[in-house]
This record gives sequence, structure tokens and C-alpha cells, in this order.
Amino acid sequence: MQQEAFASTEDFGGPDLVAAPGKPARPGQDPPYARYELGAAYDEMFAPDGTVRPPYAALDSRLSTLSLEELSRRQQACEQSFLHQGITFTVYSDNRATERIIPTDLLPRIVTAAEWARIEAGLTQRIIALNLFLRDIYGDGRVLKDGVIPRALIFGSKHYRREMRGLPVPHGAYVNICGSDLIRNEKGEFVVLEDNLRVPSGVSYMLANRDVARRAFPAVFRSMNVRPIEQYPLELLATLRSLAPFHEDVSIAVLTPGVFNSAYFEHAFLARQMGVELVEGRDLLVNDNVVYTRTTSGLKRIDVIYRRIDDDFVDPLIFRPDSALGVPGLFNAYRAGNVMIANALGTGVADDKAVYAYVPRLIRYYLSEEPILNNVETYLCREEKALSHVLANLDTLVVKAVGESGGYGMLVGPHASRAEREDFAGKLKADPENYIAQPTIQLSTAPTFVGNGIEARHVDLRPFILHGAETKIVPGALTRVALTRGSLVVNSSQGGGSKDTWVLSQ
Amino acid sequence: MLSRVADSLYWMARYIERAEHTARVLAVKLESMVEQTPDDSAASWARVVEALTGEKTLIGHQDAFVITRRLAFDRDHEASLVTSLAMARDNARQVREALSNEVWEHLNRLYLRLSPVTMDSIWVHTPARLFREALEEMHALEGVTYSTLSHGEGWYFLELGRHIERVQLIGRLLDVHFRAAADPVHAPKYFDWLVLLKFCTAWEPYTKRYTASIRPQKIAEFLLFDAEFPHSICFSVDRMTEALDRVAPGAPPARRAAVERLAGRLKAAVDFGQIDDLMTGGGIAAFLADITKQCEQIHKTLYSSYITYGAETVL
Repeated sequence: MQQEAFASTEDFGGPDLVAAPGKPARPGQDPPYARYELGAAYDEMFAPDGTVRPPYAALDSRLSTLSLEELSRRQQACEQSFLHQGITFTVYSDNRATERIIPTDLLPRIVTAAEWARIEAGLTQRIIALNLFLRDIYGDGRVLKDGVIPRALIFGSKHYRREMRGLPVPHGAYVNICGSDLIRNEKGEFVVLEDNLRVPSGVSYMLANRDVARRAFPAVFRSMNVRPIEQYPLELLATLRSLAPFHEDVSIAVLTPGVFNSAYFEHAFLARQMGVELVEGRDLLVNDNVVYTRTTSGLKRIDVIYRRIDDDFVDPLIFRPDSALGVPGLFNAYRAGNVMIANALGTGVADDKAVYAYVPRLIRYYLSEEPILNNVETYLCREEKALSHVLANLDTLVVKAVGESGGYGMLVGPHASRAEREDFAGKLKADPENYIAQPTIQLSTAPTFVGNGIEARHVDLRPFILHGAETKIVPGALTRVALTRGSLVVNSSQGGGSKDTWVLSQ
Repeated sequence: MLSRVADSLYWMARYIERAEHTARVLAVKLESMVEQTPDDSAASWARVVEALTGEKTLIGHQDAFVITRRLAFDRDHEASLVTSLAMARDNARQVREALSNEVWEHLNRLYLRLSPVTMDSIWVHTPARLFREALEEMHALEGVTYSTLSHGEGWYFLELGRHIERVQLIGRLLDVHFRAAADPVHAPKYFDWLVLLKFCTAWEPYTKRYTASIRPQKIAEFLLFDAEFPHSICFSVDRMTEALDRVAPGAPPARRAAVERLAGRLKAAVDFGQIDDLMTGGGIAAFLADITKQCEQIHKTLYSSYITYGAETVL
């Protein structure tokens, strides 16, 4: 045993040459795809007739020459690398915290240049419209006066922050960091499933996945002109800096809830990559509406805070008084313009699942443009007609609580038991305004290594959008994978994993 | 540097030093026990337990297996090797942005590799080997830290933690051995003095300085006052003094003065100490008690000056 205790464990194998095309391996028939099922969902790698889509040709020919043992070894090397770096996720259940590796799959998901161009344009359009919307509802309320969206939806939202009314934000940018969830429907079209406008996470996994996928398939990677994503921390830094244009020497900090937070690795990662301070609430104090960190040499002023804690916990004087994570007085310093906070407070009102249904209308209203990326068809249970339709079709719909995220408070109709559906119907009738429903969309599938072969698993796509003085989207994304066969739930808190996303430059 | 970060770096280094010391003492003890009579070995184990945990055990009360398991792998024991490593890692995790990737990964890997090891799996072969290997990894970690981390304020907080801990660890080993020397029944024998040197990686450096003639007085002189040997108290006090001079460069002068005064006093005690004055009537015990007390004062003043100071005092 002790001999093994110090063995080397990160072995990504030998040279990786792109093989000449041989006899094509067919999904569902030949190894390594013998158990690869093509279903109703759009498959990223194979066309319905089982031929390989052109962007996946190089990867396919590499996979056909790698033994399963070799793939398995590389998969383990990926996992070891994550473990050594401390890329772990803490799952809380029964008051116990366990440190787990984020499951990662070494096979990359490929996005073509044309697909990306559309995604980029669509997300840019969307983030601009959403920021105009936030400026509007915290300002004149034109959109409400014009009756584009019901007042009750805004003022009744638990994420609406009255304290933000009339408060100007730099460049009118409320949402500076956004991670939108896209899915690809049966027709192969990318549609927006969710806008995460509060404190989206996952960007560090995008970068960590790139690191291991590139090591697992170096030659395939080189041969494909994959666009780089390593500049993300730099772009994030520029975005944060653009919020405080007044000083030469802007002092920036990432505010984390602390080491017990499930995304702590990411907070530390971003601070390190940007070369800025990582702070906790207890490191900060506010005096005379100026925010300081406590350093060994005395107090040091902070100008911009990239906060990774929710609105509710930011300032116990204004929001939740029991919050030990935040900083008393922070909001007043913000109001006084002495510190910039990204994202601004109160952005959650715009990623509410009910407001989501109105985003296409908001794009038309503010930009006089047609949405480039569509929404998933959404039933607002607050509307009587929609509610009865939802109740009658619970077995085919996905029902979500409007204020929740992370896959909580959700019913996946086709996968739920009769009892679960009846239980949920009760909740729906009791509080219809709190729910929306969407058809069960067959998220597209992508090749995923499962130990004894390569199988199709459902995936989504989370690109990360930066919006300060300008809008920047690094050409890459976190592809989340539902690792359980047939499952449509990709959330890492519920057994999902992730994989690298290769955006091609041509 | 954030006060909280300084705090974590300081403790991370203290725990690493403690883990390294525990691994070394266990390796040396397990390697040397085969050459001792059961009685001598039991007396020696009792001294090891007291030096590492402060607990006075009855000689012969516990066997080597039980003691090693407790000192190495007992997670409920605050001084065990795995506890020290876990604490070092927890502290490091909280200041990842202040460490190089290499330092974090080295420490994390070491912890992950040692963490599942059990006594049963090592006892059947050569139990000392695991501790030797862990020790090598910790030496490597020291080198990785030295060569990949900027030698700025953070590095000096690590230095401070390492050496303030080392002074106390070496001090406790010396203390238990010299107190036992006054006991006619269990007085350390020639072999025990040699093992004491090995506990402190001092055997070869000692022989180079004093030849292979093992004499308790020379051992005390070497481990207390040698200015060049990295595991002597004098050496560590020098490093502490230098580190104290380099941390918190922008702190108010009054605060810095409080720390520097204490550091200067400790350095004087070690620089001008004479072994001849200590060799009678519990002189070493009194000297070590004084050094320990001074270290505690330095620790307290370090915290009150740079880490836990009231914000109202600087506004």
C-alpha cells in the first residue's frame, strides 16, 4: 500500500496523432459507440443517419484509434488533475458537507464558427436589452407605463430592490457578468433557457476543462483552430476596471462568502488570475461611506467589488440583518458612489423565470429588433388559461418555481411519478404566480465517455457575457452534461458534470 | 497584505512545520527502536509523546503501534500528523490567491496521498518508510515555496510561522531530554542523545562541529546556540527577527516598535546565552521556559499590531 501512496497519478498518455480515416464506426453498432443512442434529440456529433458531422471528424478518427483503456486512463488523469488543483464542489446534505470533484468529461463539445457568431450576436442583443430594462424599472418605469410587462411581476418579485430606484450605475450596466444557459432543441436551433443575472458561476470550470481537454487531445486540438478562452480573467478585469474610470490605480477585490461556499474554488481562481485581492465580509469595513480592507499595514481603500454573494447578504444594515457574510454599511457606500459593485444589486428581478417569458418582447421594445436567439416556449401559470393547460399536461411539461435556480423547486413531468405530479399540482394551484412551465425539450446530446464506451448524454451550453463599457463574450462556454443516461438535469448540484467547449475559428 | 491572509499563511506554516517535525520524529523513532531494549525504547517513546503532545504518559503504558497510530493518523488528536496537514491545507485553501499554484498543489497532493493511509497498511512492512517519504515531500514543499513564491510579505509570514513553531518544537524536545537527565532511573543513555540529534536532523551537522563525541552539554549548545544550523533555536530566532522586520512595512511606527522590541529582546537572549551558565540546577529548563514565554508574547503582539487591531485605532 505504502508503495502506491506516492505514485504519480496524472498521466495523460503518449503522443496523440490524428489518425487517417479508416472504416467509419457507426453509433449503436461499432465500438467505441456501440451503446451510443440517437434519439429524438439533436445529436452534436452524429447526423440522424449515423454519419459524423464534419466538425467532429478529427475527434472521431482519434477516438476510433484509442483503446478504451487509454481513454479511461486519460479520463482518470483529468480527474486527478482536478483533485490536485482542488477543483472540488461541496455538496450539503443532512448537515454534512462532502468535498467532491466536479465530474468532468474529457471529450470536447464542438461549436462551429457560424453557430458561435449567431450565439454571440444573440447574447449581446439580449444583455443590452436586459440592462436597458433594469435601468428602466429602477428609473422612469416606461416599460410599465406602456404596459409591456405587468407591474405586479416587477414589484411583486422578491428580487426587486426598492433601494436601487433612481440610483445611477456606470455605463447603465447593471449586469456586468452574466452566464446564460442555452440549449439546442430538436431542430438544432440554439435557444435561451435561462438568463443568470445575479452571481452566475462556472467560468473557472470552463477554463479548467480547457486545460485538461487540451492535454487529453493535443493533436486534435491543434488541428482544429479552436479559439482561445484564456483571456477571460483579463477581460473580466477590464470590465471591472471600466466601472471606476475616475482613478488611475483602481483597487479591485473579489468578495467571497468564504471557503465553505460551493464555488469558493472559482472565487479564489478568478482573484488569482486577475491578480486582485480575494476578500471575505470580515476583511472589509466601511467608514464615512468608504470601503476599506483591513491589512497588516492598516486600512486600504477598495474601489470595485466583484461580489460573489447574493443581494440578500451584501449588507446586513439594509438587507438580511442576520447576514454574517456581508459588510455593514456597504450599500450606503455604494449609494454614495464610493464603491462600485458588480453585478449591481437587484438584477435578479430580470432573470426571474416569469420575466424571462417577456424578454423577446423587451428586445423588440427597447431595440426595435427581432430576437436573434429565441426563448423556449413558456407558459405563465399566473395566466388562467396557461394554468389550466399546464395542469392538464403535467406529464409532458417541465414546471419551475420562478425565483429558484440550480434545479431546485422543479418538476420534470415525464420523469416524475404520479404522486410527485399530484403533489406539484397542489403547489401550482395554491400559488400559480410562483410557477412557469415549459415543454420538455430534448436537450441535444453529445458524446460522453462513460467508462465502457462513448455514449450520448444531454448537454446545455453556458457562455459567459461581460458587460461594462463594452460587451465581451469570450468564445467558449461551459457545456454541462447530464451524466445519467436519459437525464435532462445538468445542474452540478444534482449530479451533472461538465466538459470543454471548442469554438472553431472557421 | 490582508490581515486575514497573513493570519492564514502564518498558521499554514506553523502546521506544516508541526507535521514535518512529527513525521521526522516518528521516522527516527521507528527506525531506532529496534536497537533499544524494550525498557529503553518505552522510556524514549514516553519522551516523544510528551515532546509532541505535552502529555505525560506512564512508561510502558502504550506500545509503539498505538502511539504511532495516535500521533500519525488520529484525526481527533490535535497534534497528529494528519490533523496538522489537514489544518495546513485548510489554511492554504483560504489563501490560494496568495500562494503559487505549485505550493498549493504540492501540499494538496501530499494531504490527499497521506489521508487514506492506515496504520494496518504500513505496520506490516517498514512503518518508518511512509514517514520518510512524507518528510521528503515536505522538504520538497519547502523548496517549492522558496523558489516559486515571491519573497514578499506573505513569504515572511510563512517564515515567521515556521520558525516560531520550530523554536518551540525543538525547545520541547530538549526540555524533556534534559529534565529526564536528572532522573536517575530513566536518564537518557548515549543512544538516546544520538536519537535526539536525529530528531532534529542534527546528527551529521553536530559531528562536523564537535566530532562524533556525543555529550549532552554540546548537544544543548548546538541545538540552542549554533548560528548556522537550520534546526537550532538561535537560527530560527534569527529568521524570526528578520521576518518581523519585513512584515507590515506600512504599519504605524508605534506598532512596529512594539514588535521589534520583543524580537530584539529574544534575539539578545539567544545571541548572548552561554551554555556553561545553563548546565546547573535546571538552567536549561528555565532558559527554554523563558524563550517559550517570549515567543508567546511575540505571537500576541504580532496579532494585536497587525492582524486583530481595532479599526477605530487607525481611522
